[in-house]
Amino acid sequence: MNVLVLFAHPLADSYGRAIHDQVMSSLHVDGHEVRSHNLWQENFDPVLSAVEKREHFAAPETKTANDSLLAAHVADLRWCEAIVFVYPSWWSAPPAIMKGWFDRVLMQGVAWTFPEGATRLHAGLTHVRRLVAVTTYGSSRWVNALEGEPGKATIRRGLRVLCNVRCRSTWIADYGVDRASRESCSHFLAKLPRRLHRALR
Amino acid sequence: MRVLVIHSHPIVDSFSGALRDAASEGAQAAGHDVRVLDLGAMNFDPVMSADELRGYKAIMSATSDDLTMHIDAVKWADVLVFVYPTWWSTLPAQLKGWLERVMRPGVAFEFDENNKVRPGLRQVRKIVGITTYGSKWPYVKLMKDSGRRTLLRALKLNTSWRTRSKWLAFYGIDGASEARRAQFLGQVRKSMETL
Repeated sequence: MNVLVLFAHPLADSYGRAIHDQVMSSLHVDGHEVRSHNLWQENFDPVLSAVEKREHFAAPETKTANDSLLAAHVADLRWCEAIVFVYPSWWSAPPAIMKGWFDRVLMQGVAWTFPEGATRLHAGLTHVRRLVAVTTYGSSRWVNALEGEPGKATIRRGLRVLCNVRCRSTWIADYGVDRASRESCSHFLAKLPRRLHRALR
Repeated sequence: MRVLVIHSHPIVDSFSGALRDAASEGAQAAGHDVRVLDLGAMNFDPVMSADELRGYKAIMSATSDDLTMHIDAVKWADVLVFVYPTWWSTLPAQLKGWLERVMRPGVAFEFDENNKVRPGLRQVRKIVGITTYGSKWPYVKLMKDSGRRTLLRALKLNTSWRTRSKWLAFYGIDGASEARRAQFLGQVRKSMETL
């Protein structure tokens, strides 16, 4: 399967980075074609510019013409059949740099279209059949349930409706990391390949 | 009361900008002190740097000068008013990054001895969200309205149990008439006059 990995964490020696490395190696073991973006490392700019907002309905090429990184993101999004998000949840949702990927890359003509007379968006990512999120939360599962899991909703609902109707989404989360022991982290890492394998079957 | 308006939109003269003005003028008309943080206009960088994250738990130590102004404004305010367009059912990246960088330990919350999060915004008396949605109400609810959950649940958990909240939403702005827009501006102004 063609898998696009989107990774967000600023620190190279973090638990998030260890999770990312584990994800990459298990995808290779399973024989997937992988393209990946480390948003922090490539200095992805998450802020939608005034020009991009004004040209909301313009063809994608006009927006990517002067931005080779954005063009690469669009090309990879068009290529992939599965997207794997790897990030720490901050305020119960993906970090701003990843939210900016949604704001900027999910553009008209790529992720959605709005034909004349339509009442809502038409899906543009019908080639995407799997969505996977691998994330960590500082707080416990019940606190996040109370907060309503906004990040989860954005991916499993907001993004999911733009994908293939039979697209399956999988949520792989480690809760309570602020107070977790080293053992529970390595346990999570050890189980990750099998969970990913099942998610991308 | 001391009202802090936080606004994020890339275009200065957008409808969102008009909402920002209606909110701050409404509050001023009622005699409140108002400060406005226009993240788009001040080019606020929402990306937390590696150094900033390393110093995250060391309270205030790693904050750069550009953050001090934001932190002071949050500590000053009794009312936090968020004005933004809803994109992908939640906050724009710039405003999300503002939460991450400004609402840090020592400002919005503290870690206790067991590394549990304890509220730090007890002085805030009200959180107000003013936002526009492209979609209509049923669709927004089907998508679980993430932005509202982030502000009125995740952020609100860090305030006092007495803190109130208010949500002013304009559903279905794509293709809405001028009359409906004007009516919503009036509604925002009025609610801010009667905080």
